[in-house]
Amino acid sequence: MSRSNRWFFFLIVFALLLALIAALASGPVSINLSSALAEGWHSENSDAVILWQLRLPRALLAIMVGAALGMGGAAMQGMLRNPLAEPALLGVSSGAALAAILLLYYGVAWQSGWLLPLLAIAGAFCSVACVWMLAGRGASASRLVLAGVAINAFLSALMALALNYAPSMFAMQEIVFWLLGSLANRGWDQLLLALPFILAGAALLFAARNYLRALSLGEATAASLGFRGRRYPLLVLAGIAAAVGAAVAVAGTIGFVGLVVPHLMRPLVRQDPGRLLWASALAGALLLLIADILVINIVGAQELRIGAVTAFLGAPFFFWLIVSARRGQSL
Amino acid sequence: MRESKKLEVSCLKLGLARQHREVLRGINATFKPYELTAVVGPNGAGKSSLLNCLAGVLAPTAGQIEFDGRPVQCLSATQRARFCAYLPQAETPAWRLEAADLVALGLLPWGQPADSAARVTHALKLVDGLQFARRPVTQLSGGELRRVQIARLLVGEAPLLVADEPTAALDIRHQLQLMQTFRKLADAGHTVVLALHDLSLAARFCDRILLLQDGRLLAQGAPEDVFSPALIGDVYGVRCELRRCGGVLEFVAVDLLERP
Repeated sequence: MSRSNRWFFFLIVFALLLALIAALASGPVSINLSSALAEGWHSENSDAVILWQLRLPRALLAIMVGAALGMGGAAMQGMLRNPLAEPALLGVSSGAALAAILLLYYGVAWQSGWLLPLLAIAGAFCSVACVWMLAGRGASASRLVLAGVAINAFLSALMALALNYAPSMFAMQEIVFWLLGSLANRGWDQLLLALPFILAGAALLFAARNYLRALSLGEATAASLGFRGRRYPLLVLAGIAAAVGAAVAVAGTIGFVGLVVPHLMRPLVRQDPGRLLWASALAGALLLLIADILVINIVGAQELRIGAVTAFLGAPFFFWLIVSARRGQSL
Repeated sequence: MRESKKLEVSCLKLGLARQHREVLRGINATFKPYELTAVVGPNGAGKSSLLNCLAGVLAPTAGQIEFDGRPVQCLSATQRARFCAYLPQAETPAWRLEAADLVALGLLPWGQPADSAARVTHALKLVDGLQFARRPVTQLSGGELRRVQIARLLVGEAPLLVADEPTAALDIRHQLQLMQTFRKLADAGHTVVLALHDLSLAARFCDRILLLQDGRLLAQGAPEDVFSPALIGDVYGVRCELRRCGGVLEFVAVDLLERP
């Protein structure tokens, strides 16, 4: 890594720390941050409770979910050799979302805090497994994408049906809000539930980093470099399903992070799909944390949903992409 | 050029079926160190399939491949990749990698050796490509990109080099330059196998020719023996001449033959 890049990563980590402090200081009530920190975990002082039980888990969840989405996006783009791929492309998000919606539909979701995330993670794995089996043995990237599009379309149809026949306005509202993504009212339970899956997913993707590097020269060359067989694509898909599935399970569907972040980070890691994984994890964490700070600080009649914020951050990025392509720079 | 490790590669009754079609049938051939072999034949003859089998990209459905008398199934994918470096027909990098970073990908089967930077520099020097080491590959011309790709083949010092149509889309100067590089590599002890459409380049630079048609090995031997007007007429439907001019073997396709 060149020296300027190293500085840039120090900068991102530093920005992440600053954003974390800003996130802990943001909220409807103002608290004395330093004394609440000093009070510690077990204190029953209201400031300390707000800090330790509400703001800290929410901020850490934003970091975790952002990292999972960024890393998942980098892995998906690397595996499909396509800069426009995103983690949801092979059905991870819609699988998790459908499982969650069915629970919300029957109104059993909030009876226990862990049932919905756990089933959503299972949904993510199921839909990726369906895509894998549909694509068939030794599938090329384009066949995988096609299978992903088919499964995504089917799952969207089921989601539309669930919305259509929602038992009550309340259930419908809950489903729609869940689809927009949110980090509000999440606590340590959700964080601790998603953490092992996200860490396992990150470990799987990290193990596949050299496969992603080899794939930058195409599938035939990657095979000749020793990366052949079903093992490696399965490693990547399982990693994405675990990390992104867990992220969607606790935070709902949050778009654009997995698409935009790897794009922005690629030049900073000299286009290396291996190093892009952790660079995108860091930048994804930063982006989602900043988006959540915006969500907390923009107060309206309704709480702003983080999926709407990331979409607003993501759309101008595409404008910029088109403008730079028109100036003659390639994607 | 440094002496390379030596590897003798044998194909024994090699067969490959893809989508219920036999693309290779009963190929028996041996590739030796110090030999530059050209695999030639009309479109669809099975040249790329044979190279893909040698490089481990496709698994043969019949027969086997041996490295120094040992069946390749005994080797792990990574071990095998250390023996054989392969350049497919149309290898396009997905990202705007810098040339030196593309070359470094050739070291993946070796993990990350401590001297990787020195090896990359050495490989780029072999193809006379040091001057564009830090340029993105998207900004290289076709000839420059091909040289960088050849450096990727050389960086790991694999004894068997396999390249599919390496001279395609290059101008004549770069074609000659590339074939001279392969010639030098063979002279340094590499086992080099190229699929070639250009029979005059094959005749001029290669020690041995494998002529394929419809997945079968029709003839193998020195260029003088394989490029006989009768055989080339049969396979390609072309009248050709082979002459030696100043020590250089020249192959000229003269005209189309009327097919019955």
